[in-house]
Amino acid sequence: MYWLSGGFVFRRVVSPFHKLDPRVKLLVSIEFFVVSLVSTTVPEIALVLFAVLVVSAVARSLRRIGRTIAFSSLFAGFIFAVNFLFGLGLLNAILYSVRFLAIISSTSVFFVTTSPDELEQIMKWTRVPRDIVFAFVTAVRFIPVVMLDAFQIMDAQKSRGLEFEKGNVVKRVRNMVPILIPLVVNSVIRSGELAEAMESRAYGSTPKPTSLYGMRLRWYDAATALASLLLLSAVTLYIYHVFPFPV
Amino acid sequence: MTLIEFKGVSFVHETGVTALSDVSLAVGRGETVAIVGENGAGKTTLVRHINGLLKPTKGSVFVDGVDTRETTTATLSRKVGVAFQNPDHQLFSESVENEVKFAMRNFGFSEELVSQRLDWALKFFGLEQYRKSSPLVLSGGEKKRLTLACILAWDPEVVVLDEPTVGQDALQKEKLGQIFRLLQSTGKTIFLVSHDVEFLWPIQPRLVVMSGGRVVADGKISKIMADRELLEGARVTQPQLLRLYAGLRRRPTTPFLDVLEARDWIGGKKESPGAG
Repeated sequence: MYWLSGGFVFRRVVSPFHKLDPRVKLLVSIEFFVVSLVSTTVPEIALVLFAVLVVSAVARSLRRIGRTIAFSSLFAGFIFAVNFLFGLGLLNAILYSVRFLAIISSTSVFFVTTSPDELEQIMKWTRVPRDIVFAFVTAVRFIPVVMLDAFQIMDAQKSRGLEFEKGNVVKRVRNMVPILIPLVVNSVIRSGELAEAMESRAYGSTPKPTSLYGMRLRWYDAATALASLLLLSAVTLYIYHVFPFPV
Repeated sequence: MTLIEFKGVSFVHETGVTALSDVSLAVGRGETVAIVGENGAGKTTLVRHINGLLKPTKGSVFVDGVDTRETTTATLSRKVGVAFQNPDHQLFSESVENEVKFAMRNFGFSEELVSQRLDWALKFFGLEQYRKSSPLVLSGGEKKRLTLACILAWDPEVVVLDEPTVGQDALQKEKLGQIFRLLQSTGKTIFLVSHDVEFLWPIQPRLVVMSGGRVVADGKISKIMADRELLEGARVTQPQLLRLYAGLRRRPTTPFLDVLEARDWIGGKKESPGAG
């Protein structure tokens, strides 16, 4: 579980990709997302997935993104099975399942390499209301904490004789109740305490507070953004046969 | 007779952090063992091996002769009851009585036995008036007592308590102390993880001091607590009664176990039991 849970959680790593302006990281992630959607053949979508893995390697996060892909493979398998069984054909079934993996991993690249602070800056830059930004970023920041809570609750219930892997599907779902209730209750209590602590530290007293850190687009950010946009345009034009590349 | 045995146990977390290094420990039936040490010393990791929540990376843990690697936590839990530090991590039922019944039903107790054990546990921990209340509305001390009631209700042979005094007021601590002495008298094997040396001192358990994932001392609490150099290295403080005892020019042969003994000795009202 712990192994899988690292796939979407930010970890501070020194890499060229981590150093990029968060807007550029978002742009690259969106570009991968778009190409995943417009790709129409299995080789194209496999190439997108490969490109995501190359970027993950540059970001020194290949293992973490690999975990996301490994976890998502379960759902991809389900997508494959449903499409294949409903008569969409083998190639289309593979296309949809690999597309799903490409979309998930491209999103994961952004979240694994972007800190909650950077996420906050992007949202503020897009003029999202401050309270919504705060709520969203706090939720992201608390994901590892809630996960840790979930593991501890599972340990506590296992120590009281609860066996999660025992019984039929209905029993297994019912076995989740002793985990979900303490998890939700703890999260609600924690959010209440956090709200009080924030108010005690003058949150909301100034309509437009100043920010200690800001985003700055440097030459390599601009170069990466430009190069990725050119590549996206070229790939899209190739996919839609606007102009054929020599293959 | 040995009930719990750690043989050269090492444990490395998935993050790569080594939490335990070559720990060997044998605990007999009916023993009370307190584990102390600074934060991150490996105390909680050690006790999580007893009911198989964690399996050693190297070495083996045996509970009544059974290797914890070869059985499940649910099976081991019938013998080993663990009360975690934070009661909010386990309470979920709609009523206190259902919370206590939860584990007993998991272990397949008959409804008659469940009912008997429930009545005993609620009475023993002074929770009878909350029988139908939600466990989530209890105070911190009551929740802690409820988690202990949940465990003792199924009568495990080994009781593991992780930081039982955290968040407890003085009166609750005193009650916990009484419960401990009662558990000791019933012959239970008790593991107690705590930073609270003042709480441990009157119980006089066998003391295991941990530092950096290793056992740095194991023996009588009175002997270990007298070794200030060892305690400083493990970042453990001496109990105040021991410091008072060490500071006296005329003192009994054994340290005071509680303030009343110290008062009587200093006031000259009566001789301490250990006076020579």
